Amino acid sequence: MNETDAITASAEVCQLLTCVPEKFVVDFANGIDVARERQRHLATRTGFYSRLYDGFTGQGARHQAEINASLTDGVEGALNWLVDLSESLARSNRAIVQVQTRINGLKHDVALLVDYSVQTRQTLNLLSQRLDERCDALDRQVARIDSLQQAQLHLDRVFGKWGAGRFNGLSLSGRCYAVIEELRWGAFGDYCQVLSGHERQAQLDDLANRAIIQLSRDANVGHGERLGTHERWMARPVAGAAWFDGEEAVRYLGDWTDPGTAPFAYAVSQMPEELPLQVPRLGSAHRMAEGLISELFQESAV
Amino acid sequence: MNTTMKVGLVLSGGGAKGAYHVGVLKALRELGTRIDAVSGASIGALNGGILASAPSLDVAIERLELLWGRLSKESPLSMKVPGYLSLLVAAGLRLNGATAALGAVHAARALADKLDIELPEWLDAMGEGVLDDQPLQRYMDEFLVSDDLSRGLPLYVSLYRSGGGLQDLVLALGAELGFTDTPDSEFIHVQSICDDAKRKQILLASAAIPLLFRSRSLGGQRYSDGGQGGWQTMQGNTPITPLLEAGCNLVIVTHLSDGSLWSRQRFPDATVLEIRPQQSLARATGPLAGARDLLGFDPEKIPSWIEQGYRDTLHCVGRVMMAQQSRNELRASEDALVAVEGESMRADKTLEDAMARLK
Repeated sequence: MNETDAITASAEVCQLLTCVPEKFVVDFANGIDVARERQRHLATRTGFYSRLYDGFTGQGARHQAEINASLTDGVEGALNWLVDLSESLARSNRAIVQVQTRINGLKHDVALLVDYSVQTRQTLNLLSQRLDERCDALDRQVARIDSLQQAQLHLDRVFGKWGAGRFNGLSLSGRCYAVIEELRWGAFGDYCQVLSGHERQAQLDDLANRAIIQLSRDANVGHGERLGTHERWMARPVAGAAWFDGEEAVRYLGDWTDPGTAPFAYAVSQMPEELPLQVPRLGSAHRMAEGLISELFQESAV
Repeated sequence: MNTTMKVGLVLSGGGAKGAYHVGVLKALRELGTRIDAVSGASIGALNGGILASAPSLDVAIERLELLWGRLSKESPLSMKVPGYLSLLVAAGLRLNGATAALGAVHAARALADKLDIELPEWLDAMGEGVLDDQPLQRYMDEFLVSDDLSRGLPLYVSLYRSGGGLQDLVLALGAELGFTDTPDSEFIHVQSICDDAKRKQILLASAAIPLLFRSRSLGGQRYSDGGQGGWQTMQGNTPITPLLEAGCNLVIVTHLSDGSLWSRQRFPDATVLEIRPQQSLARATGPLAGARDLLGFDPEKIPSWIEQGYRDTLHCVGRVMMAQQSRNELRASEDALVAVEGESMRADKTLEDAMARLK
């Protein structure tokens, strides 16, 4: 603070005279004003008589001694303050070192956490990817099982109807054709379409086996016993039992067939007078069933 | 820093420059300083009496401003008589040789009338009975001597054991020239005196300038202006000793002279805050300027001394407070640092445990 700085009563520093100030602080700060006032007074005592008077009375020397004492007190106060300040600064520096040490420790810990976080994120990504794949596989598996289940249920339901005599209004081969067509356009056919290779062949074999069994049972013949195609396999049931709407439906279903590419299906659905050349005149249930299955599911596979 | 603060205020003697004390008190009031004890010499004793007898610092300042304002503006003597003399006269002191002076005045007036000479106006004022029944007496009775004084701040005044006006003056002159020193002044605790009249006598004795005023008789001993004692060290004029003995741990000392020879070095264990004038207190110039400042004042001087006392106090106390505030803030910051250390250590442990679990 220099001499020109005006201190007003509203200044913040002046709101604190409510506790005892430290003696050395008072001596240090107040000593400046004391020494300066005496210096100012001495500066006015430069005239001849004033110097003579001050020298004679010793007042000049006393003023100078007081100024010297104030300055000495000031230096001592400054030393006290400096020591105090240095100690405080040392404590602050130690605290800063401690803070710095803590910050470094925190940095190491944060680095560890970052590594851990990155590693965790990578692991989570991998886990997520694997879970997605696994879920997709499970979804596909579930869908496949569902399709298989639906296909099996469809197969059981259709053969249940056949076994219950629902198709007895049709010829023996017509029954087989109607059953195979119903399966082809339903869940069983959908399932067979998504299959390939030996799985598809296994389903078709299963179908063929069940058809052969049911067909042999309806024809009341052994599995390998051959009957006249026209006379037995394609013969209408006895009068009264014939199901003409069913025959029409079978004919409609097989209107796509032609003797060249699907001779069995053509012969069974369209019931021509002359059998296509590829259709044997005598055939077993095995031959009829496999012929129809082969043509219908081969066509659908295409 | 937690020591109970007991502040003593020393009001030095200095005649009419006592107006400076009013400014000092105004500044201390604004600084929020509580004054626990006061001591004074000469005019400082009279101002101290008004301060000690007031119920509060505000009222004391109000009364002092009123008194000093009246003295400078509305004195019934119209300032023809030196103001400091009028104050003391109003307070009940009798001028030495007043009868002879009055006779001289009357003779001078009679002679002037015969010779048709116009005399100075102040002689008219003196002829009207300047020494008695002054309106100022009313103020002094109201402010200075009252029952409130016995219940007020502890007040100490310095009294000088007088050996007669001339002897006192010779001794003071010898001390001023450094040949010898005057005997130390005595310090009286005013509240210890039960008698109102005696209390008033003591206060007036402290202000009785030798030769000009008669000394006062107390207990068979005559006393005069307390500022004469311990001349070389200003022991009597700056009565700090009774305040230190009363247990004041901070003493604010006011000086009413330029380059006061009072030294804080004589009280090495005391915490002393001196209010020294930051510019000269002298207002008069020329021969006997010091005596004219001491005894007289006018409407220009009084407000300027009050203002100077106010500014000097803010300056001197403000400098100390600024330094002390920085010390306090340093201590507070160190305490805060220590206080937060425990919390930091707990945080360290928590983090360490957490990191250990992570690893």
